[in-house]
Amino acid sequence: MTAVSTDAEPSADPQAEKKWRRRGLLALAVLLPLTLAETSFDSVREWLRGEDLIARDIAFGQSVPFGGGSWKLADLRGGKAGRLPEGAFAVIATFTVTIRDPDLQKQWLGCKLMLIDAAGHRWLPDIIAGVGLPDGVMNCASAIFSGAKPGDTITVGDTFIIPQDAVKTIRPAVGLGSERPWYLRFQRPPK
Amino acid sequence: MKIRVLGNLAILAATVALSYGMQVTKPHYADLTAPLPVDGAMGKRVHARSFDVRLEKVVFARQLKTNQFGQEKLLTTSGLWAVATTSLTATDASTTVADGTWQGPTDLRYNQTERLGYRQDMPPHGVDPGLGKLGLFVFEVPPDQIRGAKLLIAARRFGPLDAQARISLDGVRTGPDGQPADILPQYDLDAPPRDQGPQDQGPQGPAQETRP
Repeated sequence: MTAVSTDAEPSADPQAEKKWRRRGLLALAVLLPLTLAETSFDSVREWLRGEDLIARDIAFGQSVPFGGGSWKLADLRGGKAGRLPEGAFAVIATFTVTIRDPDLQKQWLGCKLMLIDAAGHRWLPDIIAGVGLPDGVMNCASAIFSGAKPGDTITVGDTFIIPQDAVKTIRPAVGLGSERPWYLRFQRPPK
Repeated sequence: MKIRVLGNLAILAATVALSYGMQVTKPHYADLTAPLPVDGAMGKRVHARSFDVRLEKVVFARQLKTNQFGQEKLLTTSGLWAVATTSLTATDASTTVADGTWQGPTDLRYNQTERLGYRQDMPPHGVDPGLGKLGLFVFEVPPDQIRGAKLLIAARRFGPLDAQARISLDGVRTGPDGQPADILPQYDLDAPPRDQGPQDQGPQGPAQETRP
């Protein structure tokens, strides 16, 4: 008896049910990728903010706004100095920065000076026994706490140890927490 | 009708069994994200993701001599000191190599010693691309954990899904009792390595080419 009563009415129903099933499947195709994107959004953003991925190439002598300041490559020099391993070269890279936003602790968080060669190898600063930074040059970490005011021009730099065969192609680069994943890659000074 | 009920029950039972099976065989999260081992042998360059490592030699000693803050210290152990000398270099970017683990033949794992304090030649080793560097990893191990042991080297202690060099210590000569053939009574970490005892533990002999 009951079977009859349900049977009689939904003669049009299978169509509707099919339609809804199809809609549900379609919605799934949209919702699943959306869910995936939503759940991974924070991780992806966090990762992008931590990596120097996309280079902005800067010509030598050009000054560009970056992380609340105006950055310009001041000097890049290398040589055999101090106590170095065999086949290694000491390099000092310096930048002049005109400060606009003095909140460097926020703008320059995770400040990284690098040397990048033609093959994409990256060198971070090293301490070289017997080689110090020139007078008036500070490294990134000290610059952050230097209390520089808007309009001040400071010189930021560091020392690197690189293998001799990379000397010809290295280019200095700067990455700052507030600008990642973008970073600045400077053309070498002309000889 | 009866068949349908029975069929449903069978499907339910199968589902429960499958679910239970999956639950009990589920790997631990730490295993799922464990470091990925890259196997290698002594004296061979092992290519991990962010660094290259070659195990040059392993020296065993009963006592370890070291300088701490200007004071000479003699460290004893109830087992043996194993001093592994590696040459390290970064692959793409300057990085650090911090973790060394001694894995015995029965998969017992020994962390590096923390008794030596800060030393320049101890981890974390700062390494740069294209520049070789000698780095030490020092362990205290029981004598029966040496034959068939492996040295595990990774950039970090807990590096999920990062590469871990797994170097088998096949170049270590051991006696019939499983103990190393050459055990120094004392090893001085601050003396030039050439001045001390047997140096030919590696298959390539004293592989010192990265040292000027």
